[in-house]
This record gives sequence, C-alpha cells and structure tokens, in this order.
Amino acid sequence: MKKVILYVNQFFGQIGGEDKAGIEPEIHEGQIGPAMQFAKELSGIAEVTHTIICGDNYMGSNTDEAVETILGMLEGKEMDMFLAGPAFQAGRYTVACGTICKAVKEKYGVPVVTSMNEETPGVDMFKKDMYILKGGNIASKMRKDVKAMANVAKKILAGEPVGPADEEGYFARGIRHQAWRKDGKPASERMMEMLVKKLNGEPFVSELPIPKIDRVPIAPAITNLGEARIALLNTGGIVPVDNPDRIQSASATRWGRYDISGDKVLKGGEYKTIHAGFDPAAADADPNVITPVDALKELLKEGVYGSLHPYFYTTVGTGTTESEAARMAKEIIPFLQEDHVDGCILVST
Amino acid sequence: MQMCNLVPVAKTVGANKIVPTISIPYPLGDPGTSREEQWKLRLHRTRVALEALAADVKEQTVFRV
Amino acid sequence: MKLEIGNFYVKDIVFGNELSFKDGILTVEKDEALKFILEDDRITEAELYIAKPGDKIRMCPVKEAIEPRTRLDGRGLFPGYTSELAPAGNGVLHALKNCSVLVVGKHWGGFQDGIIDMSGEGQKLTYFGQLNNIVLVADTNEEFERYEQQKKNDALRRAGHKLAEYIGTCVKELKPEDTDVYETTPMIKRGTEIEKLPSVVYVMQPQSQMEAMGYNDLVYGWDTNHMLPTVMSPTEILDGAIVSGSFMPVSSKWSTYDMQNTPNLRALMDAHGKTINFLGVIMSNLNVALEQKERAALYVAQIAKSLGADGAVVAEEGYGNPDADFVGCLVALEDAGVKTVGVTNESTGRDGHGQPLVTLDEKCDAIVSCGNVGELIELPPMETVLGELQALARDGNSGGWDYDEILGPSVREDGSIILENNGVFCGDQVAGWSPKQMMEF
Repeated sequence: MKKVILYVNQFFGQIGGEDKAGIEPEIHEGQIGPAMQFAKELSGIAEVTHTIICGDNYMGSNTDEAVETILGMLEGKEMDMFLAGPAFQAGRYTVACGTICKAVKEKYGVPVVTSMNEETPGVDMFKKDMYILKGGNIASKMRKDVKAMANVAKKILAGEPVGPADEEGYFARGIRHQAWRKDGKPASERMMEMLVKKLNGEPFVSELPIPKIDRVPIAPAITNLGEARIALLNTGGIVPVDNPDRIQSASATRWGRYDISGDKVLKGGEYKTIHAGFDPAAADADPNVITPVDALKELLKEGVYGSLHPYFYTTVGTGTTESEAARMAKEIIPFLQEDHVDGCILVST
Repeated sequence: MQMCNLVPVAKTVGANKIVPTISIPYPLGDPGTSREEQWKLRLHRTRVALEALAADVKEQTVFRV
Repeated sequence: MKLEIGNFYVKDIVFGNELSFKDGILTVEKDEALKFILEDDRITEAELYIAKPGDKIRMCPVKEAIEPRTRLDGRGLFPGYTSELAPAGNGVLHALKNCSVLVVGKHWGGFQDGIIDMSGEGQKLTYFGQLNNIVLVADTNEEFERYEQQKKNDALRRAGHKLAEYIGTCVKELKPEDTDVYETTPMIKRGTEIEKLPSVVYVMQPQSQMEAMGYNDLVYGWDTNHMLPTVMSPTEILDGAIVSGSFMPVSSKWSTYDMQNTPNLRALMDAHGKTINFLGVIMSNLNVALEQKERAALYVAQIAKSLGADGAVVAEEGYGNPDADFVGCLVALEDAGVKTVGVTNESTGRDGHGQPLVTLDEKCDAIVSCGNVGELIELPPMETVLGELQALARDGNSGGWDYDEILGPSVREDGSIILENNGVFCGDQVAGWSPKQMMEF
C-alpha cells in the first residue's frame, strides 16, 4: 500500500479561521479534514498516513522557517506522494500549497499534486513545477476538487501516464507532447473546421498557442576590443572527420571542442560537418564557411581583437531541444570563463 | 553575438546581437562564387561580428553587413 | 479540369500465378513482378513481401510509399518522372485503395528513411500501419552513396513507382466499386452562388532544401528547389504531378502516396461550393537561405492576393529551419489580409519543453499541429523484420542512434528499438491524415 501525506491550512485543518492563521506547522497521524475524503478516494491504492496543518499567515510571513519545519517533520517518514489543498480561491493558501509542494518535491523527489482556482496567484507561480488541478472558487466544491486531485494521484501512484492537461483538468505545465485524440478526428477535418471559423469571424482554438518569447539581458559591450579574448562556437556540426565526440547529426545531446591554437587551420578532408539538416557539400569542402577560423586569424593579425581562445566549440542545432542546448552551454561556459574569454561568436546554420 | 542566416529564428530565441550570414549550409562563403569572393565576404562579416561585440546596444539588434 | 478515380478496395493480397484483382483480393505474380523490377540494372537484389495490418512485421529502412494505380488513356502515372511529360489532372484513373507499395532497403538506410510496424503499439504511429502493403525489399549498386547519410535512393524509389504502376494495370479493364470525381472550373467563372462564399487557396511547401539534385520532391519531374511559387490545380496533385523526395527526417515526409491522396486537398474540394470557394493550389517550396524563404513567401502572398483569396491553408513538409518558410508564409499572407490556417508538426523535444517552431509570430493564430518529431518511442521486438533493423542505428537515421550514454543504442540485441518520432515513416501526416495532435501536459 502506497503512503500519502496531505498539507492543509488552519481552516481545513479544523483549528480555526483567520484568528488562527498565524499557527506554526503541526503534524498529525491519520486524517483530518479533506484527508478523510482523500483516504476514501485513494482506498485500495494508498493510505493517507499524516496530515500537516499550517496557518496561512505563518507560511506567508515566515516561509523559510515554515518550509524547514515541515521538511523536518517529513524526515524519515515513508511517503510515495505529497498532496496539498485543495486551496480553492484563497490567495495565500494557494501560494502556501505551491511553496510546500515544490519544496517537498525537490527535497524528497516524490510526486506532488495540488488544486487551485484559476484566479489565484499560486497558479502562475507554480504551474510549471507540478500538477495543479483546476479547482473551484468556493469550499463547497470540495468533493469535486478532491476527486479530481485523487484521479491524477491514482494514475501517478499506479505508474500510469497522466493524460493531457485539458483531459485531466490540470493547468498546462508548459510541456507539449503528441497525443492521440479520443475522437480520432484527422488533421484535415480539424483544418477545415478552423478555417471556416476563422473565415466567418467565429472563435476557434489554435492547436499551437504562440508562447511568449524569452528575453535575456544584453551583455555589456566589450570596451577594448583590441585586447579582448574571443571564442568561436557553432551549431553547424564542424568536427574532425572521425567525429571523436560522437556528436549526433540531429537532436544532439553532445558537444565537442577542437584545438585551433597557433597556426592550425581548418581544411576540408580533415574537418567536416556532421549536421544532417542541410546539404553538407560546401562545409565539407571548406569548414571555414561555418567556422571562420581563417578570417579570425587574419583579423587577429590585423589587431582587430586581442587574442583567440584556443578551441572552437561544436554541436548540432537541428532538432536539438532548448533544455539540451542550455545544458550544453552551461557545460561549455566554465571552459570559457577559465580562459578569461571576453566575447563569443556563435555561428548557427 | 550570433552569426546566422535565419534572422527570424535568432530573434525568436532572443539573441541580442545578430550578424546575418548568407545561407544555412554555407553561412560565410557561397561555393558558387570564387575563393577570393568567399574570403572577402567571410572576412568582412567576421569583422562586423567582432565589432558588434564592442557595440553598446539597448535592444535586440541586427547589424548591417 | 476533371479527374475521375475509380476505386478498387483491396481486402487482401496474395502471391499467385497471375497478376489480378478479384473480389477484393489482389494477386501478385511474384516472379513476373521481380523480373520487371530487375530491368533496372542498378537493382542487384530484390524480393517481394506482403505486410497487412495485424501482421507481426517491422519494416526498416522504409524509403517511399506509392498507391498502385493505372491511367485508362495509357498515359503514365508520374509524368516527367517515370513516364513521359504530359499534363496531369484530367481523365480517368483506376486505383487500388487501402493498399500501397512500400520500398525498403535490404541493408542500407540513411537520415531520410524510416520504420513501419504493422501491429502492436507502433502500428498507429503511421498511416501505413493500416494499409495492405506490397513490400519491395531491394539493394542496388549505387556505391557512391552506400555509406552516405543522405541518400538519393534513386533506383529504389523509381522501382517503387514503376512497381505501383505495374500492379495497377490489373484493374485497368475492370469496373470500379465506386468513383471519386474531382472537378475544377476556372477560378473566375464560377457563378455568383459559389463566388459569394469565402475563397481559399491551399499552399503546399514540399521539401526542396537540397541544392544538389536528386533528393528533392519533383513537380512534373522538375526539382522543386529550382522553382518559384506557382498555381496548380488540385487535380494535378492528386494525379501524380508531384512525387516525394529523399531528404527530410522521415516523420515530416509526404510520401508519394500522401501526395496522391492529400487529405487536406480532398477536404477543401469537399467543402467547395458548401462553405468555401476553393480556388486551387499554390505550389511553393522550402529553402535554405533567408532571402529565398522571403522571396517565396512574397510570391505566395502576391498570388493569393491576385487570385482574390480571402483565406489560405499553408502546409509544410518539414521542421526546423523550414519553420521559417512556414511562419514567413503565414505572416506574409496575414499581412496581405488573407486569413490563414497552418498545418505543421513541432519539435518540442523528448521532454516536451522545447520551443514548438524555430520561429514564432503572433499572427500565426490558427495552427493544426500534428506531432512532435522529438517524441521518444520504445517498441518491443517484432517477429519479422523486412530490411535491416540496424539501419536505424547504424546509418545516421534522423530518429535513431548507434550510441547513447543513457539510452543505449536505438536497436537492441533482442530486437526491441528506441527512437525519436523523427524516424517513423511519414509519422506526422501533415498532409491531413494525422489523428495525433500536440497537446499541453
């Protein structure tokens, strides 16, 4: 039998209302408040072993202490899943549920599930970190919200895949996967319906909502280019012909760095591209068309910049995911920092 | 700074300094042109890229080549 | 233009003494068919198999799929490619439905090839898992590309087209079970009843990104890399004017079978006169330089505007940098005042966190999205493998790998496989079949 622990606030923990919102965390064996319904919904699969209660104000004003105390209470307890709420439309409670779920997931690596109303601050703060079921706005929705949480919890506990956000009723976590439509409606029909609605000015739902574009702060300009150390990177897959790091030609997870110190030059036959997303003929014949080592050395001679970092860095950009790319960048950056590189040129194909 | 042909891609992923190149398979030298022309183009655009690193910009910028 | 396609529904395929079709049973005389295939002296070995839904068969590396058909007027099926150049889109065809000719490499695959499973979890990953397939497994003497990751697969793909045409001849003299009639009238002479409906164009972006010849989709035998957007009749597309190439990661591919049956086109033709006035096809392409991409988008928007289109549907045969052609074209159309829907797949990666398309624009507000090329797929061993399973791991397949620190190789000793959707033959079905949809999790 799996073991589940539930977090609730002072009100649902049956301690009191606003006047008790300052109470410190307490842990009780067994089930208090909503924990009883969770126990019923999960019966046969899991038991709710403990209920943790904490005042919303205490969690809000003494977050670090509250989290630390609760994590301490969980130490050594058998736990397959941590639940919090449902929090309905209570602003502070939703943030508390998100905060504690995130902390427990990070510390103990167990799945966490909570529930909030869409109008609350907790949703945007935590929806990318966990399953947050779309909850009601008032406590009279308790039965429904607990049931929805339990449905997702059961699947996770049983090791079954959790379905798409719309189907299961949780807030989308910024993750997109392919899935088979229940109605089996082919793309051509979906296209036709969307087209006619758009032409007639009727509302329609795109299958690809355009996400907001990420921005990074602009790095300060190099003040003295004549003394700056420059590094060259590329996503065009330029490698020594034997591809020593076995970088994949699509969906890359690996990168390599190759010596260009001294009078080293990049020649066709010695270097090539392993990027499979384009016609490789030109870069195989002359790798400098992607990694302009020849031009950088000439400009170095001219004194346009101070010095060249002795390696160029390579991966392949096609189908490579943002998270893999970010990880590879994080692995590469220490090499650049260690060599006091001031600026980078990244050539992409 | 990023040198690339697909400027809209670089803009979408949030690169702040962008120097355009001439194509995807051969960003810095069209094999249909002479070695000399390829070298001139590559030297020029690489120089622009270096200068871009020293340019003080306040917003996402595509440098002229 | 008027294209009539007489349908012969294949319920079963068997090998026998004579090429024939009777009561839903297609009989293929194997030796004759193989003799016909071996007329191309580049083909060094060839064998034929039958693969039906439910069979415990896995095919790899699959290179092309073609619907067997025949033209009653004697013209060839693929003008400018396997037959003499002649206009397509008019006349009478007989077609063997629920049936395709698949071409599988006996040993060697590449970036652009894929897998098909006929049963189990993998069957639903591609449309061809549901068809009755005649499978040509063959090898060639094309030594120049044997170890190349990018293969033209010229001999094998042509063999498949010729075989489809050869098999199609068995229904030439027979009476079809039913007939689909695709008729178009001149765009500007359709009468007020039709012209009061919103007018729509279908913009195709077939794969054309290899600058070397021999890899790209062909229109009347012409390499689509060498063209600017132009107007075509939907009946030409359905009648073999365009054939598939050999370049893109294969889940994004539109096989020739997909072209011959393009569900999006047929849906638009069905809706013609009811909810829309379907003007026709703008045949565009996919390019490798920003200026080329922008030029193509500019042409498409101009043509759509000149034709008086109120709406458009854009479909791309690819992902990654082709997304820039796709989004560029959608934006150009929207800027020209044409209300546009896009059909595509996405690349959100194994974890689903990735940016869906490499370029994004808020004007792309109506997208039908058919799959994630990076979806990780694990499939158990299959009793029978046609071709060579190692091709998935060894030959640089876009969805396979020979080595991974965590996942191990794509092809395991017990015959089970792990791959990205990228390697599933025509898996994303952007041509319109796709029952898959990208969803938020």
